[in-house]
Amino acid sequence: MASPGFAGKILKVDLTTKKIESIDSAKYEEFGGGYGTAIALFWDLCVAPGGWDLQDAFDPRNIVSIMNGPLTGAGIPFAGRTSVSGLSPQGWPINWFTKSNFGGDFSPMLKFAGWDGVVVRGKSSKPVYINIIDDKVTIEDASKLWGLDTWETQKEIVKLQLGQNKSDWRAVGKEYTLRKPAIVCTSQAGEKLSRIASLQHGGGAAAGLGGFGGVFGSKNLKAIAVVGTGSFKVANPKALMETRDWLTEPVAGFGGARGGAPKAKPAGIGAPQPKNSCVGCTRACRTRAGADTPGRDSDGCMETTWYNVHPPEPKTKPADEAKATDLPQKYGLNSFDTCFGGVMWFDAPTEALKPATPEAPGAGWYIKRLYDAGIIGPGKKVDTAPLPMDKYDSYEFAEIFAKTIANREGIGDLLAEGVVRFAEKIGRIDDLNTILRCPSWGYTDHWAMPEVSWAYGDLVDSRDICNHDLQMPLMSGGRGDAEAWVKQVVKAIVPYNDDPFILDSSWKDEQAYKTGIYSEHKAKLVAWRMHYQAFYKESCLFCDWGYASYTNRNGKGTPDAEPRIYNAITGKNISFADGIEIGRKAWTLRRAIVVMQGRNKKNEKFAGYMYRPGASASGFTNNLPVYDGTNWKWQNCVDLYFDDKGVETWKTHYYKLEGWDQETGYPTRATLESLGLKRVADILQKNKKLGSV
Amino acid sequence: MDKNDKNKVNRKNDELSRRQFLIASGTSVAGSVVISGATTGLLAQTPSADKYPKAKGHIEHDNKLCSGCLSCMIACSLAHEGNPSMSLSRVAISRYVFDDYPQDILGYTCQQCDEPKCVEKCPTGACRIDTNNGNVRTVDAKKCIGCQTCFKSCSFTPRRLAWNSTDKKSVKCDLCADAPNNSKPGTQACVNNCPQKALTFVS
Repeated sequence: MASPGFAGKILKVDLTTKKIESIDSAKYEEFGGGYGTAIALFWDLCVAPGGWDLQDAFDPRNIVSIMNGPLTGAGIPFAGRTSVSGLSPQGWPINWFTKSNFGGDFSPMLKFAGWDGVVVRGKSSKPVYINIIDDKVTIEDASKLWGLDTWETQKEIVKLQLGQNKSDWRAVGKEYTLRKPAIVCTSQAGEKLSRIASLQHGGGAAAGLGGFGGVFGSKNLKAIAVVGTGSFKVANPKALMETRDWLTEPVAGFGGARGGAPKAKPAGIGAPQPKNSCVGCTRACRTRAGADTPGRDSDGCMETTWYNVHPPEPKTKPADEAKATDLPQKYGLNSFDTCFGGVMWFDAPTEALKPATPEAPGAGWYIKRLYDAGIIGPGKKVDTAPLPMDKYDSYEFAEIFAKTIANREGIGDLLAEGVVRFAEKIGRIDDLNTILRCPSWGYTDHWAMPEVSWAYGDLVDSRDICNHDLQMPLMSGGRGDAEAWVKQVVKAIVPYNDDPFILDSSWKDEQAYKTGIYSEHKAKLVAWRMHYQAFYKESCLFCDWGYASYTNRNGKGTPDAEPRIYNAITGKNISFADGIEIGRKAWTLRRAIVVMQGRNKKNEKFAGYMYRPGASASGFTNNLPVYDGTNWKWQNCVDLYFDDKGVETWKTHYYKLEGWDQETGYPTRATLESLGLKRVADILQKNKKLGSV
Repeated sequence: MDKNDKNKVNRKNDELSRRQFLIASGTSVAGSVVISGATTGLLAQTPSADKYPKAKGHIEHDNKLCSGCLSCMIACSLAHEGNPSMSLSRVAISRYVFDDYPQDILGYTCQQCDEPKCVEKCPTGACRIDTNNGNVRTVDAKKCIGCQTCFKSCSFTPRRLAWNSTDKKSVKCDLCADAPNNSKPGTQACVNNCPQKALTFVS
């Protein structure tokens, strides 16, 4: 019987054998649902059986898990996302186990269909898509879908399933529905095993990082479509409705978690667009498009600044930028890895906030640098054909660029490997010490610096963690009293809420080791962020746009909101700290997976540029609280860079705090057994990867 | 009776069982006059078509404002049934991002018609006017036999009634007159939970 908040079963499809089974979700609830459950499933299905080196994400033994969480479908704002995980082909040099997620309709629809997730392994002999209609699951021929972009694919599946009846009730078993199937799919890029192929849902909800579109392609899997007409239990419906009222009630000075979407109809490029939302959410951060309005179902994130070239190149026209928003969506490409000028380059309100150089430049930016330097070009050893480099500042270029990568044509074949592998293949991996700003594991920089907990998170996780939550309160950096800011924010960081030094960004001299970025205090902040992420953000699936909420708007943010919401739905009556513990358990098991893949203290190092002046040049929220030994103050840390000895010291503190071997970074038996993971300790020991105390 | 059991009615207590209705309908030979004449007592509750006090209001949906978040559908089903359910929501939102604004999001609410066909055509009087609650047009679950006549009668396409497949009965918007989990009794859960003010109660 399903616990409140859960559907009760997980769908498992083996595309090699065509076997369709269901797994009892209750067995995995201790890991939190969502990503936590997926971590445990990966261990049980892929690691524990042995016989596989866990190196190749395109191996049929890899599973891709697409999960909802206990809050999904319950009408809670900022809780409508879908988790994706498995071995990631984008990970460099090793295809680390990692995760991604996307918004929209998919995860609620999956839960209403009666599933807490779908796990796919194996490889079909021919192109297929998985069709889920409540408890009826079939593997359908996708030969007519193969070769289509992500929008064409979804439209085609809807046409196949609905025929002419797009607008009236359809009988689905003993139910009726008006809803179209929710579909997640890959493009030509995934079919051709691009390592940076996204999974796309709707117009613009994407699991962009990780290359999971390529994992789909490696399985000859084009899409998963779901229609759900059922329901699931919640523990206390009245309390749930009251919780939603509480969340959405305006708070003086902050408003509420209610909408405020522009009401204008699409009026062309540059005009405000009416808004669209993930299920249950009030923020309405996605766009509704007209016939001539680009940015369909886009959330104003990386894709809207994808084709965004800025000085020293001629600035791109706003009309071209807007139109190009849809290119990474349709062609199913990770917008970070392929972008032209950095993440959300915009006019910052103050000089102190303005990045000095392009942030997170992706392949679009990198190839222009190489072309201008005469290193690549038409007819050269690394030929840029079919890209019209002389038309770089035109929409025409952006479109050809996207198609070229998606179809692996010419230079697109190299770029489809991801920008770091591209550099490696053309003999320029040393650019990671200078211009190629990818801090760790083959992912472009985002806002990793100078607030270093993001960078450290990237390092101990397997990708750009993409957790903006601490950056939000830092946008007020430089205003008000630094100590008061620290005392306010640290209250959210339970159980480390008694240690304000976790927020100290001292980076020079001994203070950095005492209370700053190399200290045990910073280890606590990173551990907290990873545990919070594992449970609250990736298992409960609280959206990064809403949580963690450090400024705790009169009790409506972290650490009060999350357990109130969770308990109203599940009835489990946990505290916030209990949730952090569940996250620690999932995070530790995830550590065991990457250790089995080859992670250790020695290879857990940043790219060379992070240890040099300029590491934070493309940083965001540069004004940070710094403690000088006596007082707190705001300091512009745009000059911050890492010291190797300091990072190694920090790692030692961090491993100790996590209960991992300080010499190797391997989890210890004591830690694993205290978390009920003796079986994991036994396998690590058998493989000589168990940490010593 | 437990609020979760409120729709589970002992069939022996039905005034007209579905089986009896189907038999009666099958044996009628000419239109509704013969049916009502031949089955006095079985269909005696059918109200006259010109005696419908107006409802106090209805819910309107503005698809230009709607963000398609489905909060209304989740709130409606939670308030009435105790669990989130797309099928048991009395308000329906349909979304397709590949249609152009504003047709990409469409919402369907019961209009609480002045001359409600669902009430007029219901053979058992289950679809009725609740004079204790602002004349809202509602479905009495105790009397509903699941014939779906109201579905076919609804003046709108798509129809504005939903289907409870477990109990095999119709459900419809009652303006939250009987919504035991509604956190703000006396108001409508869908309207309260709409973040975009796309749903409004219109008097």
